[in-house]
Amino acid sequence: MAQRLLATLARTLGSEQAALELKWMRQAIADRTQPFGPLKLLARPPVLIPRPETEDWVIKLAKTLSPTVQKPINMLDLGTGSGCIPLLLCHLWPPGSLKAHAVDISPHALSLAKENAAFCGVPSTSDGSRPVNTFRATQASFLSRDFPSKPELDQVLPIDLLTSNPPYISWEEYLGLPGSVVNYEDPKALFGGPSGLDFYHSIARLLSRADLFRPNALVALEVGHQQAENVQALLRSTGRIVQSEIWTDPWGKKRTIIGRM
Amino acid sequence: MSSPQDVARLKQVKEMEPLQDAWDRWSENRKLIDETSELLNDPDPTMRSMASEEYASLQQTLTESLESTFPTLLVPPSKTAHLSALMEFKSGAGGQESSLFLGRAPANDLEDSGIKDAILEVKGPAAYDHLRWESGVHRVQRVPATESKGRVHTSAVAVVVLPLMEENDSKSEELYNMSDIKLEVMRARGAGGQHVNKTESAVRLTHIPTGITVSMQDERSQHQNRRRAFQVLTSRLMDLKLRREMEERRDTRRNLVSGADRSDKIRTYNFAQERVTDHRIGLTLMNLTSVLEGDGLEDIVEAIKKHQDETAMEEMLDVD
Repeated sequence: MAQRLLATLARTLGSEQAALELKWMRQAIADRTQPFGPLKLLARPPVLIPRPETEDWVIKLAKTLSPTVQKPINMLDLGTGSGCIPLLLCHLWPPGSLKAHAVDISPHALSLAKENAAFCGVPSTSDGSRPVNTFRATQASFLSRDFPSKPELDQVLPIDLLTSNPPYISWEEYLGLPGSVVNYEDPKALFGGPSGLDFYHSIARLLSRADLFRPNALVALEVGHQQAENVQALLRSTGRIVQSEIWTDPWGKKRTIIGRM
Repeated sequence: MSSPQDVARLKQVKEMEPLQDAWDRWSENRKLIDETSELLNDPDPTMRSMASEEYASLQQTLTESLESTFPTLLVPPSKTAHLSALMEFKSGAGGQESSLFLGRAPANDLEDSGIKDAILEVKGPAAYDHLRWESGVHRVQRVPATESKGRVHTSAVAVVVLPLMEENDSKSEELYNMSDIKLEVMRARGAGGQHVNKTESAVRLTHIPTGITVSMQDERSQHQNRRRAFQVLTSRLMDLKLRREMEERRDTRRNLVSGADRSDKIRTYNFAQERVTDHRIGLTLMNLTSVLEGDGLEDIVEAIKKHQDETAMEEMLDVD
């Protein structure tokens, strides 16, 4: 059976890549994990599989900020999916320097994110015995005008860092996505409205609320391949961003907007 | 409060301890030999007999000191003693048969299948020192499993053993500048990001000054492939550095082991005759099974190390 599968893969991918794909598929069936930086994360449809573009900017972000146990920070990740962004930061930053909170509208994503936190050894609270980075996840829709309303979020507000890889695919683009994405990944995690920018408008609204953020807070947002300028302009229009920059991903796409308040 | 010179001197004294001990014991031994030799002419026969035994035993200790203990102490300690090893295997001439031979390597968990090339990490102190002399071409003479007429084929596997540098080894940082490195990620991802979920994780590093390139696509994560590629690059640069240093010291002048090019045939495994021959030191062992599956390889490695130590000592005595 494996031989037939290998032959089929080879026809589309060539024999060398086919052998690799088969190896990865075996791995995926056995342990259903996806590497993300130095971490191994559990992956399960319909939750979005962490992308290498995301891996790249989160590692860069970890080198940009230097929280310490003496000067720890609070972060909020919007639309956390597998939990990859906050969990990688919990792993890379020193223990006790980060308190991470994540929200997602999907119950599938929430349970996967919590499983991943356990899988990576990141607790939800500190018992005080030794410094640890913590991760909590709550169900919420950040599109909603009354976000954040849940009492659980009060524990992490005001925040020093806001991150998000929000759904950014436009309707037209969605129609053109490959089957590997459309058949396995939640459209709600991908579809960003007719323009693909709906979620960035909500995030911009959040930025205007000074009470949610500490002074000099940072916002880091992943964007689709042609959205960088639009999203940067949108953030600037809030009047809350003092300095911003665009980061390019390893494939030359303008992938991340960094804004300092 | 000790100054840096004090610390350096203390280190030197500490390093000399084994030599000091050996010298003290040798002096003691010599004194006893002199005393005992006087008793060899003692009028009392019992006394003579005891002295004779004692003398023989003392002579043996003396010989050992002179033949092994001192020489070992005089050879300068290896600068690479703490390093683990990175072994690269490439199947070469002989095609499928070569791959099948490589497939017998212990790391292969798929039975009876060939391996075209492989990278193996062997971790532990002295791993590199122990394995470095495996670099070169290993020749295999046997009747392949796929051969219907029982003819003997010759195939080859090329092995390169590199020092494996730990990520936080300070010497790694001295080997290259990031500005000399070109990092390429393979294949366009189109729009990328949320638009694509197939992983295009292959990475290629080029070290511009030396032209060394490392391609890595074993892992599913670009980040992990990048890390492994840098690891292999560091190993190759370190290997280059060590070989340049050897050449500068003119170690390679008379040394058939250090002087061997990595394309030289260093060893032949002849299955029909159950024979393994190392061509550099001219050693033949008639127990191929022991070498390939048991501890026989140890004997060869020990013989080579001994040859290297002897050559090192000869060089020390060589006054230009």
